Amino acid sequence: MYIIIVGAGNVGYGLALELYGNTDYEVLLVERERQRALLLREELGELAVEGDGTEVTFLERIGARRADLVIAVTGDDAHNLVACQVARHYFGIGRTIARVNNPRNERLFQLLGIEATVSAAAAVLAQIEVDLPEQALIPLVKLRASGLEVVDLHVQEDASAAGVALRDLELPERTTISLVISGEGANVPDGDTVLQPGDEIIAIIDQQAEPEMRALVAAPLPPGTEPREPAP
Amino acid sequence: MKIVIMGCGRVGSTIAARLDAEGHDVTIVDLETQAFRRLPDSFGGERFAGSGVDDRVLIAAGIREADAFIALTQGDNRNLFASQLAKHLFRVETVVTRVYDPLRAELFADLGLRTFSPTRISGDLAYESLFEGD
Repeated sequence: MYIIIVGAGNVGYGLALELYGNTDYEVLLVERERQRALLLREELGELAVEGDGTEVTFLERIGARRADLVIAVTGDDAHNLVACQVARHYFGIGRTIARVNNPRNERLFQLLGIEATVSAAAAVLAQIEVDLPEQALIPLVKLRASGLEVVDLHVQEDASAAGVALRDLELPERTTISLVISGEGANVPDGDTVLQPGDEIIAIIDQQAEPEMRALVAAPLPPGTEPREPAP
Repeated sequence: MKIVIMGCGRVGSTIAARLDAEGHDVTIVDLETQAFRRLPDSFGGERFAGSGVDDRVLIAAGIREADAFIALTQGDNRNLFASQLAKHLFRVETVVTRVYDPLRAELFADLGLRTFSPTRISGDLAYESLFEGD
């Protein structure tokens, strides 16, 4: 499989080294900036080449016609988008992966059919959320067309949902509790399932319903932080 | 017609002044406020400092209400990116894009943008001038 990587910054460079070890892959790392390309050439030999990964004549020269995959990972979203579009529509390369530096640009990539996007910022944000210990609700996947999302819920001590059977819970509309993971393993719940503190839940919910779901499984606010009763 | 122009270089400032004089509602966007010095004193349109590849800048410049968008920065890919934002995300009716590289200009014309390549146009003109007297 012939893979062209456009952009030899930290992401492209690391990726090239990673793929280089695999004999199934033929990898070419493309860098536009002359000095950086020269350095890479010294270090990596023919694995690296200086050129503009959005320019048709250059791509022709490096054999883009027979490429199976183009990965555009420069720090410039415009460059990454055009590299993928040229790869796809001029050279007929079936698979393209783009790095999206600004998460707000993801929508445009999708609209233009460059589906496989890797957003560094989004990935880091997701990682931060996973690492926080006391998170009651962690968004996992947004399902764009339906406005639904898959979330990971943690039932905390004294949460209003703890000790209550699912059928007695007042869940927001369009909520599906898909899986309850307890000490006994993962189970598909029914109306009789009683949630316990420590349980983990995989649920599909309306994207708007995050605060409501969080309130159900989160521990109540410690005393003193509760809103005070108005003075009589 | 409301027209947003990205890039206030020689071409951008010239067409902005012309459209403004014709009575169109023109907003011109450029990264450098100094670029606006190219506009004539008579220019009555809006000047907007910011990057046209940033959707928030385009929104602030009024892209949602625009009938037309023209991309005239020095960067082909920047022009193509902003033009596709305008066309596909903001549904601007008419989008015109300058692309120096003739091959990329052709490709993106096939993909539905109105592109033109100054490289090709100048090349053709130079060729025609060469044989003019013949």
